[in-house]
Amino acid sequence: MAYSFRNLPFLVSLAALLCLSMPVLAQDDLPVLDLNRPLRLDFSGSWEKDFGRSDKWEDELGRMLRIRQEQAARQQAGLSSGSGPAVSLGNINLNSGRDGVSIIDLARLAEYISRQTTLNIIQDEEHIRIERRGEAPLICSLEAGPLETFSSPHGSEICGWDQQQLVFVITLPDELVIRHRFSVAADHEQLRVLTSISSRGSAPFNLTQSFTPYDEPAESFDCVLTLSRGRVCSKGTPLP
Amino acid sequence: MNLLRTLCLPALLVVLAACSSSGPAPAPVATPPGVGDVRLQQSTGTPVAEQVLDIGVLVFANGASASDGNRFGDWVYDEVRENERHLLPFTLRNTLLESNQWGAVRVLPQSDPSVDLLISGAILTSDGTGLVLQVHAEDSTGRVWLDHTYRDSTAETDFPQVRELRRSTAAEARVMEEPFADLYAQIANDLLNARQQLSTAQLQEIQQVSLLVYANDLAPESFAYMLEGDDAGRITAASLPAANDPMMARVMDMRRRHYLFIDTVDEYYEALHEQMQSPYLIWRRYSFDQELEEQRALDRAQGQGKYSSTSGYLTLTQRYDRYRWSKIYEQEFRELASSFNREAAPAILELNQQVRGLNGTLEEQYIQWRRILRELFRLETGDIAPLPASQQD
Repeated sequence: MAYSFRNLPFLVSLAALLCLSMPVLAQDDLPVLDLNRPLRLDFSGSWEKDFGRSDKWEDELGRMLRIRQEQAARQQAGLSSGSGPAVSLGNINLNSGRDGVSIIDLARLAEYISRQTTLNIIQDEEHIRIERRGEAPLICSLEAGPLETFSSPHGSEICGWDQQQLVFVITLPDELVIRHRFSVAADHEQLRVLTSISSRGSAPFNLTQSFTPYDEPAESFDCVLTLSRGRVCSKGTPLP
Repeated sequence: MNLLRTLCLPALLVVLAACSSSGPAPAPVATPPGVGDVRLQQSTGTPVAEQVLDIGVLVFANGASASDGNRFGDWVYDEVRENERHLLPFTLRNTLLESNQWGAVRVLPQSDPSVDLLISGAILTSDGTGLVLQVHAEDSTGRVWLDHTYRDSTAETDFPQVRELRRSTAAEARVMEEPFADLYAQIANDLLNARQQLSTAQLQEIQQVSLLVYANDLAPESFAYMLEGDDAGRITAASLPAANDPMMARVMDMRRRHYLFIDTVDEYYEALHEQMQSPYLIWRRYSFDQELEEQRALDRAQGQGKYSSTSGYLTLTQRYDRYRWSKIYEQEFRELASSFNREAAPAILELNQQVRGLNGTLEEQYIQWRRILRELFRLETGDIAPLPASQQD
């Protein structure tokens, strides 16, 4: 016993040392933070449209038209705030842009662009890739940007980060500008995409869509494009 | 600070978006005239001894970036160019051999003192529709044979269908015909023309000087005095060794061993070429289609400006769809570039891992080999003092 008591302080110290080292050991499993890279929220995963929380383009258009009608009414009553274009009740300036692009056409275009009901987002330490059915993926770096990601005679695309929101600006001929602004909830339960369309500096038509995560079934095949053999697929990892 | 960023970034994005579609065009690069249809001048008989010059074709340099460097993700095209640097010299090497006008023609990773004529090149433009190469050829005496920019363009008939290419094997020469064969034939013909301007004595001098340059590379303390250089970079033989000079016999022995090494290196490039020929031709076929599509898109965009001034929903969706499809098309093309690089990667890796006992890339192995030969030469000639630091590489 005397032997045990004599060694007690040593054993206590050893136990304490082991206890203290436990969190350190646990931390070894954590990914190492690279402080040279900006910290970004995790957008990755499969997302499906939450129709209940997403704007309906007709409702949004109706809301915009009501605002304009109210503006027109105020103007007629001499209560104009002094800003914004002159609006008459008979013609509530549907042709909002200088080139005569009507807000209705912008709204319908917003609906056309936002027609996808699912999104698949892949995000690693350097890039984010947003895949939408029937569209080329939107790809951006996780660096602050802005970066030019595409340009052709038919339009150009630029991406960048506005704090934790990912922004893509697409400029089409005749100054038709489309902006997609992606934001994700910190708990990863909701993804919001705000699509704004304006023409020649007109007031934008905004459409917000909301997405929730879902578990996409695993692909049966892993496919890779090769030049000499075309698309080559191999059996994917079997489901557990 | 955050507020400032919040306000500034979207504004900056909009400004940049506006700039990207109407920014200043890059300064135009002078385009050399195309080579047109060229017939390779082939020799039916065996060339006389002094005409049988050994040629080294260096791995090409990258004369200009394959991408404009502005767009995110375009580095994939720079990687394609990096692979082309190793592939295109071998096509020139094949054309020179096919002409039957020269001695050994080898692709080399580094400048080599053992060859009579060294060809270096830089790829200025390379895609499915056009190839522009800057070519410089210089013999061992420092005489410049060629310093010229060559350009060739292709038509759809220069390419087989991708379907045919996928079915073919390397042995099917008809299918694998080089789309820019005229350009390589023109280079070969120009080299032949340059050789024809030289007298027999001048050609013999080239061969004598190259032997002395090689000897000087092995043991400058023994052979440097035999060479004379002038301010213009021309080298002449100040004196020649006796026919039975034992030192020179050893040099020639070392050169034979060196030839074996560079023949092996050349075989590695041949293996790379064989592995990559089919995917590279497919890649160029796609690149041709892509360039054509871009031109059509440009024409359509100009036509759109002229004829479409309406702004209804249909016009807006058409405008968006044109953008959408041009982006989808480009993404697919980028995907193809990536898959070409993926297919090239194992072959390039193999190229750099071939020589047993030597480390690093083929270029580094080549430097090591030359150092080993110098060491060996010193040992064989009985000079066992360590090599001076200046000759280590």
